[in-house]
Amino acid sequence: MDKVIILKDLSDEELAADTAAGSRSSFEELISRYSPRLFYFLRYKTASDQNVEDLIQETFLKAFRNIGRFDPKRKFSTWLYTIAARQAVSLYRANKTKKPSLVPMASSQDPQEIVIQKQESQNLWILAGKLSQKEYKALWLYYAEDMPVKNIAEIMKKKKVTVRVLLHRARINLAKKLDKSVYSESFVGENPAEHKFSFSEIGEI
Amino acid sequence: MFCSIHKWLISRAVDSKKQIPAFTKRHLGRCDSCREFAQLCGSLKQRFTHDTSAILEGYNKAIDQKVISALPEIKESRSTLSRPGLVPNLFSKRTFLVPSLVAASLVLVISISILFLTLPRSKEVNSLANISDLFNRIYPARILEKAESPLEKEYTELKETIKSTAEFLISRLDVRLGQ
Repeated sequence: MDKVIILKDLSDEELAADTAAGSRSSFEELISRYSPRLFYFLRYKTASDQNVEDLIQETFLKAFRNIGRFDPKRKFSTWLYTIAARQAVSLYRANKTKKPSLVPMASSQDPQEIVIQKQESQNLWILAGKLSQKEYKALWLYYAEDMPVKNIAEIMKKKKVTVRVLLHRARINLAKKLDKSVYSESFVGENPAEHKFSFSEIGEI
Repeated sequence: MFCSIHKWLISRAVDSKKQIPAFTKRHLGRCDSCREFAQLCGSLKQRFTHDTSAILEGYNKAIDQKVISALPEIKESRSTLSRPGLVPNLFSKRTFLVPSLVAASLVLVISISILFLTLPRSKEVNSLANISDLFNRIYPARILEKAESPLEKEYTELKETIKSTAEFLISRLDVRLGQ
């Protein structure tokens, strides 16, 4: 129990160093931290969930075998995502799989299910899944992983300016896909048209 | 036309965490489309963070177990004093490299000796005998003997030590040898 608590307190880089020193449980902790994130990062590019599972497995196996090469001064997430992106590209090239949609299919007419599907479709990641692969990847790394543009460029093997352009295009396309009622959700109770713009609301700007 | 430039500047400000230029701020006051885009950019971080945790909740944790069970076995509790990052790699490389290096050098030595024995010697090879003659002329037998002297010296010292030990024992124990 104590060990679990200690492992949960360790940073990714510390866990990676611990794995390199021979601790399997540290790597298992890394798996539990990153497999859900990798799942949704890779899900876009492959045709089925089975393929995504295989990709996750391959990614972690490769990371485990090469953990000795990982420099603890670097960010573990960048290193792992780089491996995952390469694995995905290899698989995509080999299979030439068609792009899956993250949007749930309306297969049922059950009103309850329709409500659930509607709620799910309001998730921005579902909408982001309709964007191009590169835009989706850039958005995931930027917003879900909170990575700086520099690290995203490293993972995607692009220039920093290219990543900024990708992010910009993704925002523009996302804005097009979002209807006003969805993306002005944060201003519930106000008429967006009458809303006085304030820069303090745009936290990062 | 200018809206696309202003939208790019808004996006750039988000990514570089800098202020929007003053002329874009003025433009936002009179352009609904750009204002809505700026609002969206400002809310994206919060909304994506919220939706990420929502989407991750739907993840099937059985995949984790599948991945863990696929991992190769490693020895637990390896010394933590050893340099992290190098131990597993070097360990595996050494176990693989040492026998292969020994095998490679053995093959090399055997193949060279076979070549040396089987191939007809050219004039250059025959000239090795001349080199040996020349060596004998330069370094006469005495010098060679001297070169071997450490072994001989040791042998003599050992002989003397045994002799003196025997003498000491004879005198102490009063053993009469040869009588």
